[in-house]
Amino acid sequence: MVELNAWEPKIVAFLCHWCSYAGADLAGVSRIQYPPNIRIIRVPCSGAINPLYILKAFREGADGVLVSGCHPGDCHYLSGNYFARRKFFLLKELLIFAGIEEERLQFSWVSASEGQKFSQVIEQVVEGVKKIGPSKKGLKEFAFHV
Amino acid sequence: MYERALTELASKILGEVEGIIGYAPGSLPFHMRPFLCQREEDIACLSFNHFARPNLARYLLTLEMRKKRVAIVVKGCDARTVIVLLKEGQVKRENLYLIGAPCHGMVSVSKLEERFGVLSPPDFVWEADTFTWRGERFAIRDFLEDSCERCAYPNPPWYDALLGEELPKPPVLPGGRDYLGRIKALPLEKRWEFFAQEMEKCIRCYACRNSCPLCYCTECFVDQTRPSWLSQAATRNENLFFHLGRSLHMAGRCTECGACERACPLGIPIGLLPLYVEELIREHFAFEAGMNLDTPAPLLTYRENDPNEFIR
Repeated sequence: MVELNAWEPKIVAFLCHWCSYAGADLAGVSRIQYPPNIRIIRVPCSGAINPLYILKAFREGADGVLVSGCHPGDCHYLSGNYFARRKFFLLKELLIFAGIEEERLQFSWVSASEGQKFSQVIEQVVEGVKKIGPSKKGLKEFAFHV
Repeated sequence: MYERALTELASKILGEVEGIIGYAPGSLPFHMRPFLCQREEDIACLSFNHFARPNLARYLLTLEMRKKRVAIVVKGCDARTVIVLLKEGQVKRENLYLIGAPCHGMVSVSKLEERFGVLSPPDFVWEADTFTWRGERFAIRDFLEDSCERCAYPNPPWYDALLGEELPKPPVLPGGRDYLGRIKALPLEKRWEFFAQEMEKCIRCYACRNSCPLCYCTECFVDQTRPSWLSQAATRNENLFFHLGRSLHMAGRCTECGACERACPLGIPIGLLPLYVEELIREHFAFEAGMNLDTPAPLLTYRENDPNEFIR
């Protein structure tokens, strides 16, 4: 029996159109199983992701965020992922500094041919987020005192 | 402090520049106010002391100032701010004349009050590194603003004229450079509790943003409605979101002048987040904001061996 009230994490996945999105497609075409907890948002490049997108995902109720782009050196736009890496590094460290669990925000490099790796990454991310439970920090709140 | 040098220099350059942005005694004791000197007879008002806290670079961004050639009195941190503004194309080099003021650190009124109770200006005699209170001698460094305790650059890295002599690098004060250490030492949940508690206090008056000379976006992300990044309501998580977003916008730009912390009416140590980002950038990207005009901003460049371990 499926337990109806069991909590399942909601994970927003920002995937690069040129690699990870195709990787997810390959995983699907190859019928590789992975947990159904992710909501995929296709972006043109990992470098196109504004850190505010990630913060907003948390605010709107995501329990976890995954950002996945091309391996270093493989960017369709030559260097988008290198710039993205610096931004993501700062964002991730800053969130950890502010007391937000590191499992909430995860990154991966997945190429278009790595359907298997994509499913593994999703499994790991979902497992990590399940371990720490629903997100409370950063969720939008209703103001009672304004 | 520096009054003579300042008046001499001011009378020399006042024709060349249309105004001198400096400090003048304010209407309150222990506070200096920003002062725009445009006439010969105003030159005598210019002064500089341990209370010249405001970062005057903020005033370079007003529309009127952008059109004029102005001189500006800068401490170490302010000069770094001006360099960031120059680098970002916000001000023109030919419109600027930097008057560097080697800074002995700014004195915190709240720390004075803590020690001496109700303050009365005649009780104090000020010198460069010490002051006397009713004949008793104290070191300035025990009463510095938090941002000055962690200061590493008392001298402007770059200037057109310098008042006085360059100072030696300040000693590392207890609690100074390791300002972040006490937070970093806490476990994750305690850090969250600390920030959650501080964010509860925030009323989102945006004084931090408005006092920051580098927060000059014409439309701040908090004011945007399409998309609407966050609500205007001052709730804990929204406040944290605002401060996280602001820190990220300051990445590689914050010159640690402490204007935001001094502006905060609730005394939230709001500099912690941008300071942590700056520390990361110093450590991992070997960059410090506002030290020169040539090094590219850390988020506008990359290296192939940047940190990669956090990515699967």
